[in-house]
Amino acid sequence: MIEVKAITKTYGKSKNAFKALDNVSFTIPTGTSVGILGRSGSGKSTLMHAVSGLDKPESGEVIIDGQNILELNQKAVDQFRARTIGFIFQSFFVQPNETVEYNVSLPLEIAEVPTARRTQKIDAALEAVDLSDKKNSKARNLSGGQKQRLAIARAIVNEPSIIFADEPTGNLDSTTGQKIEDLLFDYNRRKGVTLIIVTHDEELARRCDMIINVKDGKIESVKEPAELKV
Amino acid sequence: MKRIDIAARAGRSLRQAKARTLLTSLAIAVGAFTLTLSLAAGEGSRQYADKLIASNVDEQSLFIAKDAALFGEGGSQFGGSGLSEYDPDAATRGNVTFKQLTAADIEAIRAVKGIKEIQPLYQVAIKYIKFEGKDTRYTSEVSTYGAGIVSETLVGSLPGRGEQIADGDIVIPEAYLETLGVKDASSMLGKSVAVTVGRTSSSVTSEQLAQAFASGGVEAAAALAQPEEKQFIYKVRAVTKQSATALASSSSVLIAPSQMKAISEFVTQGTAGFQKYMAATAIVNDGTDPATVKAVLEQKGYPTQTAKDLQSLIFTIVNILQGIVIGFAALALIASVFGIINTQYISVLERTQQIGLMKALGMSGRDIAKLFRYEAAWIGFLGGLIGSLLAFVIGTAVNPWVTEQLSLGEGNSLLIFQLIPIVILIVSLMVIAMVAGYFPSRKAAKLDPIEALRTE
Ligand SMILES: Nc1ncnc2c1ncn2[C@@H]1O[C@H](COP(=O)(O)OP(=O)(O)OP(=O)(O)O)[C@@H](O)[C@H]1O
Ligand SMILES: [Mg+2]
Repeated sequence: MIEVKAITKTYGKSKNAFKALDNVSFTIPTGTSVGILGRSGSGKSTLMHAVSGLDKPESGEVIIDGQNILELNQKAVDQFRARTIGFIFQSFFVQPNETVEYNVSLPLEIAEVPTARRTQKIDAALEAVDLSDKKNSKARNLSGGQKQRLAIARAIVNEPSIIFADEPTGNLDSTTGQKIEDLLFDYNRRKGVTLIIVTHDEELARRCDMIINVKDGKIESVKEPAELKV
Repeated sequence: MKRIDIAARAGRSLRQAKARTLLTSLAIAVGAFTLTLSLAAGEGSRQYADKLIASNVDEQSLFIAKDAALFGEGGSQFGGSGLSEYDPDAATRGNVTFKQLTAADIEAIRAVKGIKEIQPLYQVAIKYIKFEGKDTRYTSEVSTYGAGIVSETLVGSLPGRGEQIADGDIVIPEAYLETLGVKDASSMLGKSVAVTVGRTSSSVTSEQLAQAFASGGVEAAAALAQPEEKQFIYKVRAVTKQSATALASSSSVLIAPSQMKAISEFVTQGTAGFQKYMAATAIVNDGTDPATVKAVLEQKGYPTQTAKDLQSLIFTIVNILQGIVIGFAALALIASVFGIINTQYISVLERTQQIGLMKALGMSGRDIAKLFRYEAAWIGFLGGLIGSLLAFVIGTAVNPWVTEQLSLGEGNSLLIFQLIPIVILIVSLMVIAMVAGYFPSRKAAKLDPIEALRTE
């Protein structure tokens, strides 16, 4: 379970101060798929960074499975991210000069997974995104959709309990985007992984169990799973 | 992240920037090349010096002087004001005044326990030398035959080690044959050689001069003041072979010590230099450590050098020369350090996104820094390997030629490559490269992942 309690994030100082997040609170049950919806510049990415421990809001709490991650030191936050979180970014951020295999292997190396267990995990992740045949290709030679699938493989390879996806389909055509969405939701359902998708695409958000609407750094509305299903 | 994984990633990322990696490491390679060659040349010179000393100097021998300045250790009146106290036992060479050993000193040294024999260093300048069957008069150096080392002979034979040649014997070097126009070396054996020396009659008093003038006129007086001459006749016992590692025999004729003494005393008779010696050579009893005898002698006021000291003296010179070359190589390395810093900074800037991603995925700043330091280390390794390999290949190729040009002789070589110093060199280059990579790596470690991921 993720509990976000009254987090505030301000950019800049004194006169130029800008509240990108203003007293934001919500709760996400484990295994839920969540759509964070809002216009460009509303603070979606900032929120995701705060919840995933990449960024530190100046006030509030982010409690994940009972642990306030804002209280952890740098090393512990790094370890927390390496072990429990998978990231998918809007612009893929795959390492173009590394092979598909080594791209996927990176989170395993960071989490210090023993070498013997890596191959099997990498193969499983590539299998899940249907990229097994590209294992030894350089990432730069992949198509956009393949790159995003590679990013997903990298996000799931260490079996995280939370996956953050920032505009995962923003750079893809609608058919390919659809496939990526299917992949993510399928993984969410099969593994019971909490899936948090940042998007401004309402249709994508509507596929989620829960929708959090962000506007000007504030929560405009939270549609709980129950409400949505009705 | 485990070291091995970081090192592997560092290696792969270098391979992807081949040209840049190669160019950066070439700068190091220049330094490594120079260092490897200078290490090889140093080793070669030391081994050569070692051989040189071993084949010329009996390890049981001591070199004894009165004046430590002779060994370059100071203690004498170098130049100075030009005005220094007169010492009747001192000799002046150029600007330098040396205290000399007297006959009493020689006796005192002979009495020291452990000394088997002592031989003063006779320095005689002869007028000329004549060979049987030739009318030409030649100038030549005459030296004492050293019983410590037996030289190889071309013709004739020499006594065993520790034994002297007879008083009537003379040994001539192979090099003389050419000047003499002698083709068959054995024809020289048994031929007589006349060594002519002269002295100015400084002992002539004004009374003697007046007397001579009174009885024999101007001619008699002039004859008295004329330098006196004396001839010493020897028979050729052997012709020594030319050897690259033999120091003495190549340029002077050799006679027995007793003969050297006779000539020297004739030449210096009546002068201040009579029975005064710059130095003496002593042989220590077998089984006695020359160093202990040296200690005793130095306590008595005779600066002494053992064969080992002589060796270390030569080594010191080699080391200084080597140090100079190493200094230049170090400059090349300093230049390459800036190359590494520069390349790595650019690399950090180029890979901001990659760094951001790795940090977002939970890689610690320390591991990111390690990644960049290891890349630098790889560059250092590559540079060291290229440089030392190149030095080895080129050095091995030109070695015979250089060795010949320096006429070091058969079996010697100027460049001697050894594995361990090269390995140490490469490892140190890796360390230097890592130190150079420190600043860029710290920049990488400090990158804010969110900022880094925002850059498109
Ligand atoms: N480092 C920063 N310094 C100052 N302002 C910032 C900084 N980062 C973000 N902001 C501002 O905070 C607000 C929220 O930014 P954020 O990136 O979270 O928007 P977003 O909702 O993700 O938009 P998009 O859909 O375009 O990605 C924006 O107005 C942005 O200009
Ligand atoms: Mg955004």
